[in-house]
Amino acid sequence: MKGLVFERNLPRFAASRVVSAFGGSGRGVAVGPLRLTDVEPPELPGPQWHRVRPLLAGICGSDLSTLDGRSSRYFEDVVSFPFVPGHEVVGTLDDTDARVVIEPVLGCVARGVVPPCAACAEGRTGGCERVAFGHLAPGLQIGFCTDTGGGWSAAGLVAHDAQVHPVPDEFSDDDAVMVEPTACAVHAVVGARVDPAHTVAVLGAGTLGLCTVAAMEHLAQPGQLLVGARYAHQRRLAEELGADVVVDPGQLVRAVRRSSRSLEASRTLTSGADVVIDCVGSDESLAQALSMVRPRGRVVLVGMPGRVTVDLASLWHREVAMAGAYAYGTEELNGSSRRTFDVALEVVAAKGLGRLVSARYPIDRFEEALAHAGAAGRRGAVKVVFDLRARDRHRGTRPSTKGPVP
Amino acid sequence: MSPRPGFVLEVDRSTPSTLFWHGEGYRLEKLPVGSRVLYAPEPVDALSDPVSAIRRALQEPLGDAEPLRSQLRPGMALTIAFDDVSLPLPPMRAPDVRQLVIEQVLEMAAEAGVDDVVLIAALALHRRMTDAELRHALGGRVFDAFAPHGLLWQHDAEDPDQLVHLGLTDQGEDVEINKRAAASDLLVYVNINLVAMDGGHKSVATGLASYKSLRHHHNAHTMAHSRSFMDQHRSELHSSNWRMGRLIAASGVKVFQIETNLNTDTFPEQFRFLQRREWEWTARDRAGFLASSKALQATPERVARAIFHSIRAPHRMSSVQAGEVEAVHARTTENVYAQQLLEVEGQSDILTMGLPYICPYNVNSIMNPILVACLGLGYFFNMYRGEPLVRAGGVVIMSHPTPWAFHPGHHPSYIDFFEQVLAETTDPAEIGKYEESFATDPWYVHLYRTGNAYHGVHPFYMWYWCAHALEHVGAVIIVGGDRAAVRRLGFKPASSMADALEMASDVVGRDPSITHLHSPPLLMADVR
Amino acid sequence: MTAVQRVMRRARRLRPEGLPWRAPTWPASLERAAPQRHLGVDYDTEWTRRYPARLARAIILDNVTRPLAHIVASPEVRGEEMLALVEAPAIYVANHASHVDTGLLLSVLPPHVRHKTVVAAAADHFFDRRWKAHVWSLVLAAIPIERHRVNRKSAEDTAALLRQGWNLIIYPEGGRSHDGWFQAMRGGAAYLATRTGRPVVPVHIEGTYRIWPRGGTRPRRSPTRITLGSPIVAAEGEDARRLEARIDAVLATMADEARTDWWTARRHAAAGETPSPQGPAASPWRRAWALGPDPHGADEDDETRWALAED
Repeated sequence: MKGLVFERNLPRFAASRVVSAFGGSGRGVAVGPLRLTDVEPPELPGPQWHRVRPLLAGICGSDLSTLDGRSSRYFEDVVSFPFVPGHEVVGTLDDTDARVVIEPVLGCVARGVVPPCAACAEGRTGGCERVAFGHLAPGLQIGFCTDTGGGWSAAGLVAHDAQVHPVPDEFSDDDAVMVEPTACAVHAVVGARVDPAHTVAVLGAGTLGLCTVAAMEHLAQPGQLLVGARYAHQRRLAEELGADVVVDPGQLVRAVRRSSRSLEASRTLTSGADVVIDCVGSDESLAQALSMVRPRGRVVLVGMPGRVTVDLASLWHREVAMAGAYAYGTEELNGSSRRTFDVALEVVAAKGLGRLVSARYPIDRFEEALAHAGAAGRRGAVKVVFDLRARDRHRGTRPSTKGPVP
Repeated sequence: MSPRPGFVLEVDRSTPSTLFWHGEGYRLEKLPVGSRVLYAPEPVDALSDPVSAIRRALQEPLGDAEPLRSQLRPGMALTIAFDDVSLPLPPMRAPDVRQLVIEQVLEMAAEAGVDDVVLIAALALHRRMTDAELRHALGGRVFDAFAPHGLLWQHDAEDPDQLVHLGLTDQGEDVEINKRAAASDLLVYVNINLVAMDGGHKSVATGLASYKSLRHHHNAHTMAHSRSFMDQHRSELHSSNWRMGRLIAASGVKVFQIETNLNTDTFPEQFRFLQRREWEWTARDRAGFLASSKALQATPERVARAIFHSIRAPHRMSSVQAGEVEAVHARTTENVYAQQLLEVEGQSDILTMGLPYICPYNVNSIMNPILVACLGLGYFFNMYRGEPLVRAGGVVIMSHPTPWAFHPGHHPSYIDFFEQVLAETTDPAEIGKYEESFATDPWYVHLYRTGNAYHGVHPFYMWYWCAHALEHVGAVIIVGGDRAAVRRLGFKPASSMADALEMASDVVGRDPSITHLHSPPLLMADVR
Repeated sequence: MTAVQRVMRRARRLRPEGLPWRAPTWPASLERAAPQRHLGVDYDTEWTRRYPARLARAIILDNVTRPLAHIVASPEVRGEEMLALVEAPAIYVANHASHVDTGLLLSVLPPHVRHKTVVAAAADHFFDRRWKAHVWSLVLAAIPIERHRVNRKSAEDTAALLRQGWNLIIYPEGGRSHDGWFQAMRGGAAYLATRTGRPVVPVHIEGTYRIWPRGGTRPRRSPTRITLGSPIVAAEGEDARRLEARIDAVLATMADEARTDWWTARRHAAAGETPSPQGPAASPWRRAWALGPDPHGADEDDETRWALAED
């Protein structure tokens, strides 16, 4: 059965980096270490594991970073080669034919580590300390681990009981594949500790940015939500999802200044937004985020950044907190503990996030798919996914819960 | 040879192409047969001995006023206020009219032994002037005698300690002006009159006022009901300023008004083809036009702008009068009409105009799209008496590159107005709900008071200036402008004059009548 | 670590800490006297009057200072023929409006005077730092004098120099003009003249206030005029105060002459109507106004049309 495999091959890694630097993200695939090849379905590591056949598997910014060779060397120890990428998966369980979404983080429970680490004991699987240990090969998540397989292959993957979430019948496949990115957004929003009096600015309106806007409006309802979106379709979606002010990224600092009636000094606002969420993760976006957050405010980094160089003088002087937001686990909401994925299911249903899926490709057209995903904004798209459904099953059977029919 | 009066040319097949300003450059366009082109009267003669004329005016004042020398005595507080950098356009060659007048006033003050003298640039909500601009306007002698001692002030409309509230007019309009000016024993105002709107009570009531005062007449309603604001008898702007001016006089502020008329000799030798009638161009003029327009197309924007803004105009004083405000202004207005007025029969369907690189609000700066709209639909559209040149529901076509460019130091609030307010609505009546937040924004206030920025509310005034035109015409088309910027203004972009005329006939019908306003120099149409 | 930091670290290893590579530190238990700083009036300018320094100064004065003065100030000199009557050495007193006064005056004096002249300079302004003391004493032959207090030492040293044959340039105002008019004058020159019996040559320098006034940021070219007057010799037994009054009167008349003409100035002097060179007693703007228009009209008329506008 065909699948995409990522192998450890340094020359190809370097070549991909060069080509993507000149040609754009996702373009280096043809020369890179990703191959379309015959793949064996993975072995079940244990009795509590299930085989999953993917229906749709999303392409994420972190996947593109890895394929372009731009990801930090930090991740080398927590990834095992060769692996099948794809961690945003909606599929069917082999044994029961039920539709499920996968929570890809491989924590202590999945790895059979007893007793579980402190984070996993509290349910914060995203913070698991044992991702490189246990009876599985090292791997942060399904889709980065050689033993589990991943979403981008017809051979399927294996998932532990704790990683499987049933999908309600009224969800379309598009809605379901958006659950994992929405969970990242939900985790970030809860961690940002936004309250209704706050002004929040979101930089970047790709998939993660728009999911963040949706999660913010659903869970936190801040006083003012300003979004910097480069492309017209992103701006339209951001407005539909409830943002108050949507502008071009170059104008965002001015919009925040007017909203907070702040002065300017040292190219930084003297007041500013209470929380700034950076969904881009580049040198410029971090510098911009620091210039528009208020003293003692929070900057939250959602989505994987690379190596960045940033001037921290304003962070020190204005006592700004900069925090990362990774993956998901369990959230404290209104006094009760809930799994992030459960909250994400709620947000996807309430906001109709299935409409963010803009294009679906079969596995054998992976070069086009990855080029499209890398240039999504410019090409009027948001989320690009691989479609592994059987030919006879027609597309889009179940309409999205909200929003226009694709 | 005495200057020729203006006239209206009807374009026929032998008429050569017509010159259109196009920002930092110019074009020749062929107007359709049957169009009317309005040519301004030629510049009147300048005074041969301006200094004696000034002295005579100060000694023989008009109206109920005593000669200046007799009003000066030791121990008094004297304030001399003068028009800011927005006049004249383009800036004059040295010596500036203000320099000549103020030097004579100070000679008398020195003779009389007046020690307490302060000079104030009457900015209202305009930007502060730079040292170089002040030195150019006042001359080196005056600048060096006053600036180092802190006696050369720029009106600060946001400093409550420098303002005094004199009361309300009978229409409930606040009159709040500069405290030093109001409290002086004598306030001398030195004015330059370029168009009929300037001068009179507007000098003090607007030039030295605060936002609280100005919003009573700088608003969409007043401007829409000023038809036109160049015509005293039909201008709400004028009547409001007159009420305020009379209240100021009644509160005991003694104003000695000195007004000067400039002739319209606007451009130096190299550019004289701009003011000449096209069929009278000599070979030199044609060579000059070709060389400069080709050269300008090749120069980068910044350099072209710098070249144009360094032009010093040869216009000179044609008349000076001093004394009581209303009497002086009556004489000044007569002179303005004598220089600029042109009789025109009837309106037309389309009004075309070329817009130059400069307006009162971008001297030594960048002309942003809002200023383009204000210059065309505010100033040029309103250079009429009687009826507008274009009929109700007609089309105005303007030629200007309209770049999406702003000067961040001079026009910071314009950037936010363009990006955020105009994106929502271009209706002058609707933008009013944001006016308060722009007027009181602390950052704009800071930049106005300490930098060289126009006040936060100023872009709103620019848009109100277009209120009458926007209400009156059916469509506005800009030829050769940046498409995104023109659309944001709510107008239609066209790439050539021919396309613009095509687009216009969708609004006004086939075979429309066209009138073109040929400038420079300035002209005012008396439409019957 | 950047490349720069690596290089710096390597460089430091080449020169290790401690003696003999670096200067020694002083043990804590031993007393150490404060370093002697010979600055201000204590600065010894003897070395600048020895041959090598005099040669260097002559070269600089003739090849740098003189041409520069002629370019910047275009001086017109009056009365230099009077210097033939002066018995060297003499005390030259001048009004002071700008730092260019000294260089300009030295440039217009004849060579035999120029190369044997010292200039009295304010100790607190020109001799407060070592490098300034070295530079000004070499280039201009400056000697430090105390201008705010009476200092016996500087007075004695200066008198000694006069006796040795050195001419002296001294500014009775004590400092540069604040507004273009003279300041009140002090008696140092008169005192030296009575002590040493040397003649006093009055000099009026007109126009340097326009070139580089007190508080100016950069020099501007402007023409100047230097008038040298007849030497004043102290009469037998004349005391310093009377001599001072005489010198002040002569300088006032020369100032009057610069604003009007020689004959008018003489008539004013005769009638005792010479206007005070310290200007009218009025507000600052009127004092500035009374200076009159720039006689050389070097204001805005030379703006070139094609100059790029200032932001």
